[in-house]
Amino acid sequence: MPAHHSEASVLPMIRSEFRKITTVRSPWLLLAAGPLIVVAGITGLVESGGNVHDPALQGQAYAHVGLAAICTLIFGILAVAGEYRHATITDTYLSCPRRRRVVTAKLAVYGLTGAAAGLVSSLVAIAVTAAWWSARGGAFHLSATGAWVTLAGGVAANLAFAAIGVGLGALIRNPVAAIASALAWIALVEGIAGQLVGAGLARWLPFYASEALDRASLRAATRLLPQWGGGLVLAGYAGVFAAAALISTLRRDVT
Amino acid sequence: MELEVRGLTKSFGQVTAVRDVSFTVRAGTVTGFLGPNGSGKTTTLRMVLGLVRPTAGQVLIGGVPYERLTRPRTCVGALLEATGFHPGRRARDHLRVLAAAGRIPDDRVEEVLSQVQLTRDAGRRVREFSLGMRQRLGIAAALLGDPQVLLLDEPANGLDPAGAAWLRGLLRAQAGEGRTVLVASHVLGEIAQTVDHVVIVSAGQLRFAGPLSEIGDTNAALESAFLSLTTTP
Repeated sequence: MPAHHSEASVLPMIRSEFRKITTVRSPWLLLAAGPLIVVAGITGLVESGGNVHDPALQGQAYAHVGLAAICTLIFGILAVAGEYRHATITDTYLSCPRRRRVVTAKLAVYGLTGAAAGLVSSLVAIAVTAAWWSARGGAFHLSATGAWVTLAGGVAANLAFAAIGVGLGALIRNPVAAIASALAWIALVEGIAGQLVGAGLARWLPFYASEALDRASLRAATRLLPQWGGGLVLAGYAGVFAAAALISTLRRDVT
Repeated sequence: MELEVRGLTKSFGQVTAVRDVSFTVRAGTVTGFLGPNGSGKTTTLRMVLGLVRPTAGQVLIGGVPYERLTRPRTCVGALLEATGFHPGRRARDHLRVLAAAGRIPDDRVEEVLSQVQLTRDAGRRVREFSLGMRQRLGIAAALLGDPQVLLLDEPANGLDPAGAAWLRGLLRAQAGEGRTVLVASHVLGEIAQTVDHVVIVSAGQLRFAGPLSEIGDTNAALESAFLSLTTTP
């Protein structure tokens, strides 16, 4: 089948996925939590004694955009697992029995929406940082050291974690189990695994990689990959999860 | 458009849910698909629709497997028991999601809403719907693509007597327009009044396929034939 045919056929599923997320409230509540994390995080940074005259502090404030990616991760998980929960997956596959297209459309729509959420979080981060700097008499610069690369990394992390979530939710189709596994990995497992394998290998793990991508300024940079390296490693994880989602989805019986 | 089931078998581990089932559903007829609970009806329908992969055999819809139909919703409309709705989505939006996926114009959403008499409630979220209203919404989804083949699993579930009569009229009208209609049910009374052909399965095997007149078209005759055909020897 010619390539242009398959591209043309994924577009209806992309439209359908956009309609799915725009016609219920839960994705918007979830994505709205991202900018709230940014506001709370930056406020905490300043209130806990951050020195607004330190030129590095602005980058640290912006690093909270990357932390907001936890929301796009859960958002992505619900793409497939949420459909299993409400048994709407049957109708989705009836509309499009070529399941590769369904997963492709979900990766595109959730990835784009995740990136858009990251952009909103970035704008909020700039606004809140500017407000605090002005309130505390600091010198706010739009192009402060590391500012733009940190924000760009944050947006990329929001996109990548949405895609990882889509894959994870396709593998673990129970949304509660999938979200619990993801949170346990972030809060517990990766930290322990990192200590077991040592810093040299730990920096290749997904959340260490995302730290390199979006909040290197919060850590001693020597322990992490360079920013571009973190981005590539995270993109690799997203690719692996997306491939696993495809393989496990194609042949599975929907009963 | 004819529906042809050929040598269909499905095993889940050690259990064989469907064993070498073959039958044909012809255009212009309403065919009843009968069998006790757990007889393999639902698994067979899911194999017809490409949701469950057969262990052996195949299903052809107008000569093509479901997975190869270019715009499946315009060929086959299906209502399955386990088909769900997002409780927070409005009925109209549910259909608009399906319309986008099936490349069906949005005008069609209003047409099917009016056909199943849900226009007035189309702006409500599905969590507020009664079982009968959900059933009507499911039927609307099946009709959305104006399909040549209708597959309905227990469509009368939750419908009141007036709704059941409406459904019978709808099925007869669809067959009258030359469409292919297959209705799975275990409610025999519904079936005798509506269908002209029957397919009977029990314990995953085909027991009968043919015109209802070969069995007898009274409720009592159908019931006794059904019981003798589906009682495992």
